[in-house]
Amino acid sequence: MRSSSGYVELPTGADPRLGIEAVWLSLARQASAHRVLPDGRCDIILRFCASTGPIKHISVVVTGPTTAHYDVPIQPGMGFAGIRLRPGFFQHILGFKPVSLRDKTLVDAAAISASPPLATLCTDAISPETLPDRLIAFVRSRIGQDHAPLPGQTRRILSAFHASSGRLPVQDIAQMHGLSARTVQRIVLDATGLPPKSYARILQFHRAMRLLRDHRLSPSEAALEAGYADQAHMIHALRRFGGLSPARLADVTLVTLKE
Amino acid sequence: MTVRFGYTILYVPDVRETVAFYEAAFGLTLRFVHESGLYAELETGAVTLAFAGEEMAEMNGLAIRPQRKSDPAQAVEIALICDDPQSAWDRAVAAGALPLSPPQTKPWNQIVGYVRDLNGCLVELCSDMTNPN
Repeated sequence: MRSSSGYVELPTGADPRLGIEAVWLSLARQASAHRVLPDGRCDIILRFCASTGPIKHISVVVTGPTTAHYDVPIQPGMGFAGIRLRPGFFQHILGFKPVSLRDKTLVDAAAISASPPLATLCTDAISPETLPDRLIAFVRSRIGQDHAPLPGQTRRILSAFHASSGRLPVQDIAQMHGLSARTVQRIVLDATGLPPKSYARILQFHRAMRLLRDHRLSPSEAALEAGYADQAHMIHALRRFGGLSPARLADVTLVTLKE
Repeated sequence: MTVRFGYTILYVPDVRETVAFYEAAFGLTLRFVHESGLYAELETGAVTLAFAGEEMAEMNGLAIRPQRKSDPAQAVEIALICDDPQSAWDRAVAAGALPLSPPQTKPWNQIVGYVRDLNGCLVELCSDMTNPN
């Protein structure tokens, strides 16, 4: 979930060796709609009613890789604890390929049926603050002692997409790794659940938003640096992936990576 | 306002692996490695040669073309001054560097050889021209 009010990424918990990109908590104080942007990532989310006393009836939600934005209606008192998975780690942690979950979300029984160990996440909790640790422990138990489940080639290919923020054509990435475009297609689809072109477009879209919002580039500078043919192409991508215009970026939560 | 040249930082797929290679191939030593394994510095004197994980590019909002062995080398080279370029070149090649061009004496009387490192980055091994004998 990438949303505005009540969403905080915890300063600890991110661990690239475990495939944990971020651990987050969201406690809604007022009714709102949270916009979820496509980011090439999948999350495991625990949803609960943040009342005083022990937390009962915890729902587990697994979000697949998305290619379009959507809004989640939030009621006051709803709480979410989530873990954002680094692309490539999904299957190792959940036991099935992310491609089967493209643009989909699994909730409770459907999620547990797809990945039975998720059931352990739904037991009652003393407080919302204990849920991030529960998620981290879950991922750790799934990854086991083997801290680097990604094969070197997969890691380097995904890294090339990320480091270039989607600016390199798939054919270039294939060539620079001495592989065919078809092999890269298979590796990226297996690891992320998205075809490489969509994956690259999403990474490019995210960087454009960062350049506009955080680096304060003008729309024409951001379009050039993000690798769009022109400003119109960038604006089209902002609208297509985020339903946003350059003037309306202030309130979205973007993927951040921490050391 | 003063400005001085402090670092050359190579973005690499694996920082620890790259450090191990630079130790074995060029005899350089580690000055510092961050616990995340995403950044390391070598003991290279006034100008630091450092390595950053490619993830750092995305973290900082940058976009780079990552260096890979089967891609042409990028438009930059690391030049290491050696008292014996031939022995340095032999050691680098024995440690797995790509033997691009054996040391030769250039018209300006400098000995220059080239290898590519484990990631494909161009490394020049040369004699010292600042202190010609």
